[in-house]
Amino acid sequence: MALLETRGLTKEFGGLTALSDVDIAVEEGELVSLIGPNGAGKSTLINTITGQLSPTEGDVYYAGTDLVGMKPFEIAQLGVGRSFQTASILPELTVRENIQVASFAAEHGSFRVNFLRHRDSFDAVQEQTNEILQTIDLDSKADMDAQSLPYGDKRRLEVAIGLATDPDLLFMDEPTAGMSPTETKMTVDLIGDLLAEWGMTIFLVEHDMDIVFDVSDRIFTLHQGQLIARGTPVEIREHPAVREAYLGGGDGA
Amino acid sequence: MSMDTIRNSVAGDSSVLSWETWNRIKHTERFVFLSSVLFVLLFSYAFGRAPVISDVFKGYHGLAMTILIWSIFALGFNLLLGQTGLLSFGHAMFFGTASYAAALFAIHVYNEPLLVVLVGTLAAVALGVVAALILLRLHTVYFSIVALAIAQFLYFLAREPLVEITKGINGLDVKRVPLLGIVELDHEYSGLVGALLVNNLYIFIGVFFVAVVALITRIRKSPYGLIFKAIRENETRTAFVGLDVWRYKFAAFILSAAIVGLAGGLMAVNTQFAGVERLYWSVSGDIVVMTVLGGLGSLAGPVIGTFVFFYFKGIVNGFPTLGNYWLLLLALSFTAVVWVYPDGIWGMLTDFTAALRDPKGLVAKAKRRLASLVPTGGDR
Repeated sequence: MALLETRGLTKEFGGLTALSDVDIAVEEGELVSLIGPNGAGKSTLINTITGQLSPTEGDVYYAGTDLVGMKPFEIAQLGVGRSFQTASILPELTVRENIQVASFAAEHGSFRVNFLRHRDSFDAVQEQTNEILQTIDLDSKADMDAQSLPYGDKRRLEVAIGLATDPDLLFMDEPTAGMSPTETKMTVDLIGDLLAEWGMTIFLVEHDMDIVFDVSDRIFTLHQGQLIARGTPVEIREHPAVREAYLGGGDGA
Repeated sequence: MSMDTIRNSVAGDSSVLSWETWNRIKHTERFVFLSSVLFVLLFSYAFGRAPVISDVFKGYHGLAMTILIWSIFALGFNLLLGQTGLLSFGHAMFFGTASYAAALFAIHVYNEPLLVVLVGTLAAVALGVVAALILLRLHTVYFSIVALAIAQFLYFLAREPLVEITKGINGLDVKRVPLLGIVELDHEYSGLVGALLVNNLYIFIGVFFVAVVALITRIRKSPYGLIFKAIRENETRTAFVGLDVWRYKFAAFILSAAIVGLAGGLMAVNTQFAGVERLYWSVSGDIVVMTVLGGLGSLAGPVIGTFVFFYFKGIVNGFPTLGNYWLLLLALSFTAVVWVYPDGIWGMLTDFTAALRDPKGLVAKAKRRLASLVPTGGDR
């Protein structure tokens, strides 16, 4: 059984159909990418799966659980992590605190009564935070305010927060956008590590086609809310509908 | 002054080391606890009776006790606004309701100061649960305004329909009784204790003040302190890491209500009175002014803000001629401080001390500020 599956997922905003009857399935341990031109419905698809939007029709199953109607924090607690497209960090908290918040959620669940205990006394949380800081190579900047980080570091912190929630399935929304070539390479390497060493399943949305074709096991292509192609990188590269969608023409009507 | 600052900046490694040690110490719980004890020990004396200082402040013991209680109120309010980012314009509801509950309990059930304060606190918690269920559905300005509406509703309820119980605008009198049946709260000490603390009532209030500071310090250093800040910074992100934002907001609301309720209960004991004016909207406004003026989000800020507010209300008010304009003067000071220092008086003080340590950094910062005022031409 697939780890994540959508069946007939449809999302309408007023008269506009942002997603139309989308069926996708993601197997455990694979890296799938979602591509498509601007406005294809990529963000809507992620938002609908992770609970930010509720679908007009259709179902989303994660490890056999129907996610429709669940709140974002409940879906996150099931093991679905998310890093955002715009660096959605906590600006006035330090880098370490940003990661700690997510570590607490991973270790303690969605709510716990512990306001009389010093947070340094939660060893598992501190350990996990340090581990993430090292993995993402931000430990030298751990005590800086997140807002004073350079742009590329903010993006990496964004990924780190997603990781710290200890997900089994991680949605990464354009993780390399705005990064320098060095940072991009580091992020791509990290993605490789997450798959190989952490055993994570990754759902990637990315504009950089070189990265997509390089790292993906399978690729889904959205165009005007519809899934027009799915397959291996080789299949997608040669797919006529994908070429048409990307190279223009044919969508005037 | 400039000589000192230069000496500091060239003192080199040893001074840097000592600043680091200081930075570490000043954030420890023990330091905060001892500071609050020291503050309570010296506050009334410095304010009302110490040579030279008190001549400047022109304060008096009774006002010192009022300031301590309102500081508890401001600290409780700040837990919601400063830590969690929720602006309630109706916190008078907890202050006033707790005061009434305390007085009613003392009159009709059992008059024991400790129990009376506890009942006030619990009443505020109960009200907090109901108010939170309504208010936490709302966001931004709607949250603030509906909080105000609930408080005003309770004000009018207490004033007219419940006049049999609350005695309306006349209020309720609470008889002063010994604490635990033994300790006379009005008992005045002589000698050093008398000079510093004057009477048992001050000690009674001071102990609660220290306890509240300790509690809030602990909350700030617990996972809650971190998660409250995370909610303030980015609610959506906090939900997406898997935290139940609603429940944490609920917890912040209840903790805030409890601390404000404690202040309301203490007020009934201190003034031997509970009245409808403690529910009035201006109380909710005053607490916003005190907290923001002193400095949001810090521990010292709300206390300083409360002090300055009551200094204007209680002391400047009594000045010849100038006294007539105390509210205007307060408003002007408020505007001036918050305009330049959004983090209030406490933010101003921390800026000053940082400048004393690092004058070069101050110059650089000033340059940056100037540069940001000048349009850069842009690349459009």
